[in-house]
Amino acid sequence: MRSLQSHPVRFTLLLALVWASVLVLSHQVMASGSSGHAAEAHSHSDYTGGPPELEKAKGEACIRPTDWMRRNHMDFLKHRRGQTVREGLRIRSESLLKCSECHQSHEKFCDQCHNYVGVAPNCFECHIYPK
Amino acid sequence: MTMDRRTVLGFGGAAVAGVALAPGMTLIAAPSPDKTEASGDQRWAMLIDVNKCETNCTACTKACRQENNVPLFGDANRDIHWIRKLEIRDKEHKRPSVSLPVLCNHCENPPCAHVCPTEATFIRKDGIVLVDKHRCIGCRYCILACPYKARSLVYKKTSFPEGGNPNVPIRAKGVVEKCNFCVHLVDEGKEPACVQACNGEEGNKAMVFGDLNDPKSEISTIIREVKTQTIRADLGLKPHVHYKGL
Amino acid sequence: MLSNFTAIEGRSFGYWRLVIFFGVLVLIGAGSFVAVEVHGHGITGMNNQIVWGVPHVFAISLLVMASGALNLGSMSTVFAVKQFKQFGRFSAFLAIALLIGGLAVLMLDLGRPDRLLLTMMHMNFRSMFTLNVFLYSGFIILCFLYLWSMFEYHQFTKVIGSAAFMWRVILTTGTGSIFGVLHAREVFHSAITAPTFVALSLSSGTAISILLLVTTFKQTKRDLEDKVVFGLRNALIFFILLVAYLLVVEKFTKYYSPAFYDVQGWILTGPYSSLYIFGVWGAAIIIPLAILFHPSKGNSVSGVMWASLFSIIGTFSIVAHLLLAGQAYPLNMFPGYEVSSAFMDGVTATYSPAAVEYMLGFGGIGIAGIIYLLGIKFFRMLPDKAVAPEGYELPWNP
Repeated sequence: MRSLQSHPVRFTLLLALVWASVLVLSHQVMASGSSGHAAEAHSHSDYTGGPPELEKAKGEACIRPTDWMRRNHMDFLKHRRGQTVREGLRIRSESLLKCSECHQSHEKFCDQCHNYVGVAPNCFECHIYPK
Repeated sequence: MTMDRRTVLGFGGAAVAGVALAPGMTLIAAPSPDKTEASGDQRWAMLIDVNKCETNCTACTKACRQENNVPLFGDANRDIHWIRKLEIRDKEHKRPSVSLPVLCNHCENPPCAHVCPTEATFIRKDGIVLVDKHRCIGCRYCILACPYKARSLVYKKTSFPEGGNPNVPIRAKGVVEKCNFCVHLVDEGKEPACVQACNGEEGNKAMVFGDLNDPKSEISTIIREVKTQTIRADLGLKPHVHYKGL
Repeated sequence: MLSNFTAIEGRSFGYWRLVIFFGVLVLIGAGSFVAVEVHGHGITGMNNQIVWGVPHVFAISLLVMASGALNLGSMSTVFAVKQFKQFGRFSAFLAIALLIGGLAVLMLDLGRPDRLLLTMMHMNFRSMFTLNVFLYSGFIILCFLYLWSMFEYHQFTKVIGSAAFMWRVILTTGTGSIFGVLHAREVFHSAITAPTFVALSLSSGTAISILLLVTTFKQTKRDLEDKVVFGLRNALIFFILLVAYLLVVEKFTKYYSPAFYDVQGWILTGPYSSLYIFGVWGAAIIIPLAILFHPSKGNSVSGVMWASLFSIIGTFSIVAHLLLAGQAYPLNMFPGYEVSSAFMDGVTATYSPAAVEYMLGFGGIGIAGIIYLLGIKFFRMLPDKAVAPEGYELPWNP
C-alpha cells in the first residue's frame, strides 16, 4: 500500500487497467448476445465444423471479382453507405438491394460466413433484404 | 488494369440485371441514369397552400407513414410523426381555425445539425437535412434544439409492418429520425410521398415540391409571385417549407 | 499551519460498509444500463416530448458539482486564502471523482452507447457537446496535473491551479450553454443560463466539500477546526446569494417583456410550479440562507451541514426544473396562436420517471463515491488535522 501511495502514476495505471478490463468485459457481455444468435444458427444449419458452405449465386458475375469481394466487401459496403447517405451518390447497378438478385438469401449467404467467423454486422436489422 | 476489369464487370452486371429484371421496361420509360449524386445546383423546397388544406384530410400523413414505414407504438407520447396535421387558432377565438401539415423544415441553418456532436445530422448539398442513422449516438440533443418538433427517438424495436415498403429500412432503437423529404424518391426524380398523395385523388392539391434554384420550376414561380411565409422566420433558420396564406 | 498529509487507514468496518454501499450503487447503475441497452429507452419514462430525463438531471448536477469541488483548491491557489491550502488535494481529487461519475451517467444514457467512439472520430465543433468533450477531458487532465503538482512539484501549483480555475469557469459555462444556446426553448434560452450554472457550481461545490470534509474528518477522528468550516460557510452564503441574484435578474428581464408572460406564468402555476417554488427557491436559496444566517444554527457545524445538504438538493432541483420544465413547456411554433395536433403540440408534456432512470443516476453517484473512498485510502489526500492559521479571525459571523 505504501508504495502505491507514493506512486500516483502506478495507481493511475492500475485504475486504467481496471477501466480497460471493465470495457473488455462489457464488450464481451454485449457480444454474447449476438453470439447467442450465431450458436442458434449453427444448430439449425448442417454445420459440420469445416468452412461454411455458401449458397450458389444466381447471376453470371458479381460486380467485382469474387476474391476481391471476399476480402473487401465490408469496406466497400461501408464506403458506399457513407457516400449514398451523405453525398446522395446512388449507383443503381451496385446498390445493396441489387445484391439480393444473385445472393437470394442473406441467411444462406452472408450469415453463413459471419456466424462462422463470429462477426455480427447488423445491416439487416433495419434494411429489408428483398426476397 | 483491375479498374478496367471492374468497370466492365460492373456495366456487364448492370446490363444483365437490367435485361433480366425488367425486359421491355426500358422501352416504355426513359431509363434513369445508373449513377446520380446530390448536387448543390438544386435546392429542394416545399410550398403548402394553407387555404387549400382541409381540416379532416390526412392524405399526406398516411402516405408518409406508408412510404417510410414510420413506426407507431400505440403510445401517443412516443409515436413517431414525420409529418403531422396541426390545428391552429388565435387565442381569442375570434378567427376561424386553420389546419396545416407540419414536417421537417429542412432549414438552411438547421439547429439540429448545429448541435449534433457527430455530424450524424447534416445538410446535404441539395439542401435536404438528413440523419445518418449509422452515425447517430442517440444523445437526443437535436430533439431539444429543433423548434418544429420534427424529430423523434425510436424508443422500441420495430418490425416490418404488414404491407410496408421494402425499399425503406425499418428502425433500430435508440437513434433519432425525422422527415427526409423522401430522399430515395427525390433521387429517383420523383416527388415526396406526401406531395404525391396531396396531389392525388384523396388530397386537395395544397402541396408543391420543387427546386428553388431553378427559376422555371413551379415552386419558384409561385414564391416569386405570391406572398409566402415560413414558420418562425424570426429564428433565422431559413426554413424551406414555405406556407401560402398562413 | 500545514500539517502532514496522510491517507486514511480504511480498515474499519464503517469504511468497508461505505465502500460496499457505493459498490452496490454502481452495480445497480450497471444493471439499469444493461436493461436499457437491451430493451431500449422504451423501459424508461422518457418520451418524444421529454427526451432528457432523470439520468441527465443526475449527470448535469454531478458535472456542475465537479467543477465546484475545485473551489477550495482555487481559493487557496488563485485567491491566496491560506486556510484552504490544506484542502487543495482533496478538492482537485473530488472534482475528478464527481466528473467521472457524472460523465458516466451521461454516456450510459445514450440511445446508442456502443457508438460512443464516433464522437471522437467525427466532430462537429459547432456542437456544445463536442466542445464539452474537450472541456471535460481537459478538466480531468488539468485536475490530475494540479493534484500531481500539489503532491510533488509545488513550483507548478500556482500556474496549473490558475489554469484549472479558468478551465472550470469555461467548463461550467459550456455545461450551461448546452441549454442556454437553444433558441427554441423559452425556458432555457438565455445568456444568463451559463453564468447561473457557474454560480450554481460555486455553491454546490462548496456545499459538497463541507459535507464530505466534516464527515470524513469525523469518521477518521481527525481534527477539523470549526473556524475553517465557518470560513467555508461564509463562502457558501456568498455563493448562494450569487445564485439567487442571477435567478432574480433572469426573472426580472423576462417578466419585463410581454412575450414571456405566458411561459413565466406557466412556471409559477404549471405542473412544475411546486418544483420551482419549493425546489429552486426553497431548497436552493431560502432554507440554506435561513439556516446560515440564523444566530445559533449558523454558528454550529451541524447547522452548516444541513444548509449544505439543502443547497445540494436545491442544485438538483434547479437542474431538474430547468431540464424537465424546459422540455415540458410546449414549443411556441405559432406565437399568438393555440396549437393542437396528434403529436402533443401545444400541450404540456407529461413525464413520470421510471425506476431504471433513478438507478442509473445513483450509479453515477456510486462511481463518484467509490473513487473518493478509494482515493483517500490510497493517497495522502487529507491533512492530519485542519486548523485555521494562527491569529485568523472570521470577518463575519451570524
